[in-house]
Amino acid sequence: MGKIIGIDLGTTNSEVAVMEAGKPTIIKSAEGQPYFPSIVAITKDGEILVGESAKRQAVTNTEGTVHRIKRKMGSGEKVTLRGKEYTPEQISAFILQKIKRDAEEFLGETVTDAVITVPAYFNDNQRQSTKDAGDIAGLNVKRVINEPTAAALAYSLDKEGDHRMAVYDFGGGTFDITLMEIGDGVFEVLSTNGDTKLGGTDMDQALVDYMASEFKKEYDMDLREDPKSLQRLFEAAEDAKKELSSKLQTDINLPYITVVDKEPKHLEMKITRAKFEELISTLVDKTSGPCKQALKDAKLKPADITHVVLVGGTTRMPIVRKKVEELFGKKPKRNVDPMECVAIGAAIQAGVLSGDIDKDIVLLDVTPLTLSIETLGGVATELITRNTTVPTKKSKIFSTAADSQPSVDINVLQGERPMAADNKSLGRFHLDGILPAPRGIPQIEVTFDIDVNGIINVSAKDQGTGKEQSIRITGSTKLSDADIEKMKRDAKEHEEEDKKRKEKVEIRNNGDALVHTTQKTLEDLKDKLSSEDKESIEKGLKELREALSGDDMDKIKEKTDALSSTIQKVSTAIYQQAAAAQQAAQQQQATSGGDGGQPSGDDKTIDAEYKVKDKKKKTDKKKD
Amino acid sequence: MATKKVKGTRKQNPDEIIDTLERKLKKRDREVKSIKQDLKEKEDRLLRSYADFQNYQKRAGKELQINKMELKKKYLTELIDVKELLTSAYEDNNPKKGLKLIINDLDGFLEREQIKYIDCIGKTFDHNIHHAVNIIEKNDCEDETIVEEVKKGYLLNDTLLRPSQVIVAKRNENR
Repeated sequence: MGKIIGIDLGTTNSEVAVMEAGKPTIIKSAEGQPYFPSIVAITKDGEILVGESAKRQAVTNTEGTVHRIKRKMGSGEKVTLRGKEYTPEQISAFILQKIKRDAEEFLGETVTDAVITVPAYFNDNQRQSTKDAGDIAGLNVKRVINEPTAAALAYSLDKEGDHRMAVYDFGGGTFDITLMEIGDGVFEVLSTNGDTKLGGTDMDQALVDYMASEFKKEYDMDLREDPKSLQRLFEAAEDAKKELSSKLQTDINLPYITVVDKEPKHLEMKITRAKFEELISTLVDKTSGPCKQALKDAKLKPADITHVVLVGGTTRMPIVRKKVEELFGKKPKRNVDPMECVAIGAAIQAGVLSGDIDKDIVLLDVTPLTLSIETLGGVATELITRNTTVPTKKSKIFSTAADSQPSVDINVLQGERPMAADNKSLGRFHLDGILPAPRGIPQIEVTFDIDVNGIINVSAKDQGTGKEQSIRITGSTKLSDADIEKMKRDAKEHEEEDKKRKEKVEIRNNGDALVHTTQKTLEDLKDKLSSEDKESIEKGLKELREALSGDDMDKIKEKTDALSSTIQKVSTAIYQQAAAAQQAAQQQQATSGGDGGQPSGDDKTIDAEYKVKDKKKKTDKKKD
Repeated sequence: MATKKVKGTRKQNPDEIIDTLERKLKKRDREVKSIKQDLKEKEDRLLRSYADFQNYQKRAGKELQINKMELKKKYLTELIDVKELLTSAYEDNNPKKGLKLIINDLDGFLEREQIKYIDCIGKTFDHNIHHAVNIIEKNDCEDETIVEEVKKGYLLNDTLLRPSQVIVAKRNENR
């Protein structure tokens, strides 16, 4: 069965969502917006436009454009577009068709089924009409649910036992209040009320009027009369409104807003949240009446309401939230996007109907803390990061830290701190029988395997000999939430000093490793180095050794860098020599046509190979 | 048919029967065990792929965040440059030349990003790229001709970045 989509078929805008991998996802329109303007138009060429494009041409095509068709649903009233009559169901079907098409594009599969939301006050006729619109659009409407019910589902309020709730829906153009009772997952509407001519756009208008009147006071010119200026005022008002939801003050700067007496004028204004709230308070107050009436109709007191849910973009404003709190005496819930929560709730209902929820979802645990092993210098080297879903398996190759090291010690750690000693040791074991080899050569594969029950299997395998050791750690992941929180907190608190300590160890490890490789290089290249080069490398080596015997990190770092640049210089010269020799040999070969014996290019190949090995060793050592 | 009858009627020793049955039972047991083992392995593999998928989702989410941040950084750095230059222009007593260069720079940046200005004045209104904010009654031009540009519109790689906000001429049919 295909996916069932959830549609919030709104008066001004519609939103769509779908359950994906157990989570509701908002579907974007083909134009890339998370909503679809509920506008339909027939152009003079007979083309049907829906959404953004219909909105863009609305003023030039008043006789062919229809807005707010939702208000006519179930009324039997027809609309005439360019001389042709359409039922509200047909118009809504155009919107639903566009939604279906874009959802299919988004999901990459055919969509045949939908859950559609309607206002709680819709009567049977209006509900049937909505269902019919779905039918016309080719959507099988699995269920029509109330918008406030969908909002409650988005907040998982159906899982909170029996209670009464208020859904305060303040959108762009309308206000609705619904009181509901929830018991055993069944929603019952107790009362509903609202104002069909009250919304966020009125607030934009109030701000535009204020800005224009202030400007007029100064320059005696009404910006609202110039469509260019008016458009900019509206955009600025909308931005300011949004900004004032999180900030206490905003600057409105509209340079070159108009020309007065051939001189360009700018609009500059500071608007405080207090000023804005003063401008819109009467609008916000207008929601009190319907709320009080709804309480009265349901024979309830504010104290009888246990939860208040906010729907609609306008509820993002602090003044609105304050009003709601004042009306119902409790803080409204606000962890779901108020613009999206109805569509999300519809998608959740759709998920329940299609069996996407409850049945197919496998709830898997995550590792609460990072799992690592201790490596050279007491560093915790991470294998499985925190929040990884289990079962999972991860391997890393490690090596030895000393020449001819016969065994490695695997210390399994849990925690977020970069140094081993600060984390919890879950267990340790030895892997011995490693064949004598220079440091960094043996390849020990360490594997962490966590099964679905959180049991950790750690194994270490010497890839040279095939020898393997392992440990099984049970129960140790069953840390209490408080322990986990404490460990995370500790990591956060010690972040800075831990970073420094780890850096110290790394500097030292790098220095150690360089001493080791330098010794090897000196040994391997003894025939190729000039005595001068040899001397300078040995000098650098001596200085680095001295630095390493002390505790001055800056000095170690400085000496490490110095020695490594010396070596690089020397080795570059050697390569260049080798390349020149090879080129000469090739030229000789080409001119003489004979076989030049052992080409010197071979030497170069060996050198290069060695270099690669060397580099790898260095990184391995760092890990160990 | 005949042979079968002979076989069927041959009298079997009870021990022999028990033996056969036990062998059969053991075989079944082995089969059941192997199927159970198989099922267990498959279940484990299924759970692991679920977990892998979830881990992949987490990683992809993280990567998306990082990419978003990178993109943001790129544009913000460009914006900061413009801001610095504009500040210098502001301090300049004769900023016209400097401003012109700043605008040229910005034009170059927009061009590199494949942003194209939508030429609209005098064109016929097209709902795909224009947004009509108002109409004006006019009879000396074709119906639906754009007569004023309120805000410039742009295309990004031939897709609409933002429509031109325009005022459109409407003929008065009654005249």
